[in-house]
Amino acid sequence: MTTQSASPRYAIKQPHNLSPRIQMLRDYYFQGMDRKWNNEFVGFTTGTPWDIQYQEGNFYIVPETYTFFSTFTGAFQQTSHKVALPEGFWEWSLSERHAWFTREVMVYYLPHEVLPGDLIAGGRFNIQTSKCLTKQQYKAYARQAYGKTGMRQAELWFHNHGYGNAGATSGHIIPDYPRVLNEGWKGIHEELNRYLFKLSKREYEGKKGGQLRAMLVAATMARDVAFEYSKVCSELAEKESDPARQNELTAMADMLRRIPWEPATSFWEALQSLWLTHMLVMSDENYPGPGVSFGRADQYLYPFWKKSIDEGMDRDFGKELLKCFWIHCNYAYDAMIRTNGNQGITAGYGQLITLAGMGKGGVDMSNDLTYAMLEVIDELTPLLEPKPNVRLFRNSPDRLLDRVVDMIASSQGSPFLLNFDERSIAGLLREARMAGVEDKINADNVFDYAPVGCLENTMCGNDRSGTVDINLNLLKAVELAMTGGYDLLPWKDPMSGKVEPVKRWGKDTGDAAKFKTWDEFWNAYIIQTKGIIRRAADLYDWTDRVRATFFRNPYLSCLVRGCGEKAMDINEGGAELNFVTLEAVTFATTVDSLLAIKYLVFDKKECSMAELIQALKDNWEGHEVLQARAINKAPKYGRDDDQADEMGRKVMEVWSEETWKYSTSMTKKQYRPGMLSWNYWVGDGYVMAASADGRPRGKFLSNAICPCAGADINGPTANVNSVGKVMGGKDISGRGDWESYLSMLPNGASHTITFSPSLIRDPEHKAKFKAFLRSYAENGGSALQINMVDADMLRDAQNNPNAYRHLLVRVTGYNAYFTSIGRELQNEIIARESHRI
Amino acid sequence: MKTSESALSANSELMAHFVNRSDRVLILHLQRLSTEDGPGIRTTIFFKGCPLKCEWCHNPESISPKPQVHWLETRCIGCSLCIDVCPSGALKKTDDTLIRDRSLCTSCGKCTLECPSGAQEMLGHETTLEELMAELMKDRIYYDKSGGGVTLSGGEPLLQPLLSASLLKALKDKGIHTAIDTCGMCSPSALERVLPYTDMVLYDIKEIDPERHRQFTGQSNHLILQNLSLVRDYMQTHPDKVLWIRTPLIPGATANHGTIVKIGQYIQDTLGKTCQRWELCAFNNLCRDKYRRLGLAWKYSSTQLISKQELASLENIARNSGPDPSIIFATGATRVES
Repeated sequence: MTTQSASPRYAIKQPHNLSPRIQMLRDYYFQGMDRKWNNEFVGFTTGTPWDIQYQEGNFYIVPETYTFFSTFTGAFQQTSHKVALPEGFWEWSLSERHAWFTREVMVYYLPHEVLPGDLIAGGRFNIQTSKCLTKQQYKAYARQAYGKTGMRQAELWFHNHGYGNAGATSGHIIPDYPRVLNEGWKGIHEELNRYLFKLSKREYEGKKGGQLRAMLVAATMARDVAFEYSKVCSELAEKESDPARQNELTAMADMLRRIPWEPATSFWEALQSLWLTHMLVMSDENYPGPGVSFGRADQYLYPFWKKSIDEGMDRDFGKELLKCFWIHCNYAYDAMIRTNGNQGITAGYGQLITLAGMGKGGVDMSNDLTYAMLEVIDELTPLLEPKPNVRLFRNSPDRLLDRVVDMIASSQGSPFLLNFDERSIAGLLREARMAGVEDKINADNVFDYAPVGCLENTMCGNDRSGTVDINLNLLKAVELAMTGGYDLLPWKDPMSGKVEPVKRWGKDTGDAAKFKTWDEFWNAYIIQTKGIIRRAADLYDWTDRVRATFFRNPYLSCLVRGCGEKAMDINEGGAELNFVTLEAVTFATTVDSLLAIKYLVFDKKECSMAELIQALKDNWEGHEVLQARAINKAPKYGRDDDQADEMGRKVMEVWSEETWKYSTSMTKKQYRPGMLSWNYWVGDGYVMAASADGRPRGKFLSNAICPCAGADINGPTANVNSVGKVMGGKDISGRGDWESYLSMLPNGASHTITFSPSLIRDPEHKAKFKAFLRSYAENGGSALQINMVDADMLRDAQNNPNAYRHLLVRVTGYNAYFTSIGRELQNEIIARESHRI
Repeated sequence: MKTSESALSANSELMAHFVNRSDRVLILHLQRLSTEDGPGIRTTIFFKGCPLKCEWCHNPESISPKPQVHWLETRCIGCSLCIDVCPSGALKKTDDTLIRDRSLCTSCGKCTLECPSGAQEMLGHETTLEELMAELMKDRIYYDKSGGGVTLSGGEPLLQPLLSASLLKALKDKGIHTAIDTCGMCSPSALERVLPYTDMVLYDIKEIDPERHRQFTGQSNHLILQNLSLVRDYMQTHPDKVLWIRTPLIPGATANHGTIVKIGQYIQDTLGKTCQRWELCAFNNLCRDKYRRLGLAWKYSSTQLISKQELASLENIARNSGPDPSIIFATGATRVES
């Protein structure tokens, strides 16, 4: 007999305060595959035999997809709908063909539907469109991409050999949305016309003319799509029997005839305009929400919010509009709904929305809309998109921090990422100096930055920083320094079992077994670091040239300042701020490996270099004592140990300084350093050989700027202090990049800390946690994700005690590490955690 | 003063070990981001050595005034290097565990240095004022932002009064909030020495009845209560300083109506408004394995945590026992109800 349990085993936070309309829309969304309506990718073709839709280059940075490239390409080729082409289509420029094709699909081919009760129009947007290549262009592209000497193969090689991945991809940008709200698309259209008229006859007939004509076509797409939705709303209104709903539909039909072509005049119009404009970026790029982010939406939407509230809009209705908007963002996940099951919500898209933060002169910019959005996030929880980033800084008001801490306390983990302005701004000002773009990023505007993707800081509306385009495992340089340029383990093809012939891929830095001093090894490491950055840059440059040559995004180009003026596509480097970010992966594993080599081989002479290399080749098997010493006795980054952290700072300096030396050959993108790591630190743990910090092959590498799992044994404050130090720390004389703050990472760095829920159990402890966050702004990094210990994690800690050595159980008058407590008592703690509300 | 001296003489060996040392202290460890030992975010220093032997003690490793070695079996990789290196032959491997003959072990620490995995761990290490200050200052910003600071706890910090006093003074010189967490079993002069540099005293009252106190802790509470009056008098002339009282709620010992009412009355009658907070700390059994690892028996090894209702009821008793109910807080884990 089974009994009904009174409460769920885990207290998952539930949505609350939802109107029947929102409850219905939310529940409908979560029906996933069972929905009649969805936003699954639909393919469209020009009908030529060589046509392609799927652009695999977008996914060179997603190693999990490598084996599916041919399948996906073929699947869309087979299933795509043919679009009737106008006469003269193939004589147009590539940009014009793309602009026309995408608009044609969005206006005339993809169905337009409005869900019952929905207050925001704009349903389907996931499409895979023809890349509109001529036969000749396709052949040229195929020569670059495929075959033994092609780009795809080069990506595989780079990944299989443990370097990481690199590829020019979509998204990760904040389009100039405020402009659409304030001037309407017609303002953009007018300006493009002015640029077109300014061209010489030769330019007009050439590439520049083609690009601007393409952008002029693209600039009408939102208008024409809105008109189609207006018709749908009118039809629905006619059939509607409920007068209240009829009024809503009539209002929507009316506004959609004007916006987003005209400027918005109310909050509803602004939100509608924003949604349509945003969703079409995802259509244009054929990629749903890879970090296409909203920027400081609580700032640029606020004038509309205030005007509508002043004119009598009910605040709750404003929130109702926001909730509809929020649900729309989640339909991005429908794209591959069949392969990922319901929603595919394990995937990480990342349409970020930035809230609060510093304004000019260090004033706090939080407003009523900030709080309304936080309420929406809380009431809809858990919903993945748009992903909120709350910006904190030293003048953030207590009210905001109270709200933030309350939301963290009532969720399983924090429902948003926290961005810290001081360190972020320092990084962007260093970027301005290093890249010579101080006219575009300076003390007068830098506070208007916002993150994209996860936490990557960029400027808004003019900045394609190519965050996540290059992900390089720094640890590879340690490996090559130990072997003098060879892979520690020769690569073996998992299908054929064939072992690749041994070849020196890295620099010849000599036989490390003969090094007499640590300095010799350190110098070899520096040379190898420069070598792997060169290798990554060469590969990236290839993908970037191919993207710039064969792929166009004229619609997105309309929304990024610089492209119109230069008459250049965003993919060609049209943005005013034209960067690509090298995201370093495996930072802590690299630092700890260097620390371990120094400690074991040179300082304590526990083993010779040859013995250590053999141990790594053997994946530590048969070398358990040495491995234990590497793990437990060697110093580690993340403990606020000044000497160990100094090694971290030097590692950071070496690779970040080298990064600034590069720019792309065709698009002239300046390289900049960042630390994101996405999920690569998990997967590449199986690719990379064992490392000197004691990690065997198959164990995770370190995540972004976080210390290695289990290394931060001195707790969160020490962890935070270490992170701040390696990012650059502070200049006590006040000559930092911004005030006293230094940051070597303009992109910022991902930092996650896990806390025990007991730390925020009551008002007194919440106040302490608030103070912790205020301290983070002083001592820490640029962005913090807060996780809370849960029962699952405690179970994992039981089974993997070494990864959780820092996990402290603390109650009044007593302290102990969880992993040092006997199993029976551990189970009791787990049971207690499971019952926590 | 006669009684206090006689009470102290019982600990003369212990006192001799520490009292005249001013250059070094023996501590267990530093706890950073400590949120349970006073206001704000703090670093708590756990001193080693305690004059009481509370039969429920949660931190048995803090009682002995000497370094001790214990073995954390979950960290052990079974390499036997500790056995090879032990000069006293105190370690022996059996089929499934490692045995330390505590009659032979001198806590020399050679095994902890040799052990590659950190399974052999030294409890207690000597440190200096300078080393401590360097570590404590690392979290200064957290203290400042939270109204926190540094707490000296243990063990009993006042068993090492000379360095405690100079440490507290050094912290005050830097403008850092200071607290001591004491059982009160110390020489009055030790208290007099530290109070000028202490912003806050967390003082334990475990039992009012002297005989029961002796039964539970090995010592009469006479000196403790006498010292408490000394603290009260000092606080009354220094109104910016704060006194919190802490009482452990131990099943079968202190977690009963009579004990709580008497302590409440005592607080009300003797301390009055000088006591700004009375914390009732629920019994905890998480230290069971610490006793096992130290080779000690523990009377409470099978005692259950008190229930949620019991804790609420004891809190209620406290609230009606005299002191202002708003200063009373019950903390700690309660039994999991299935």
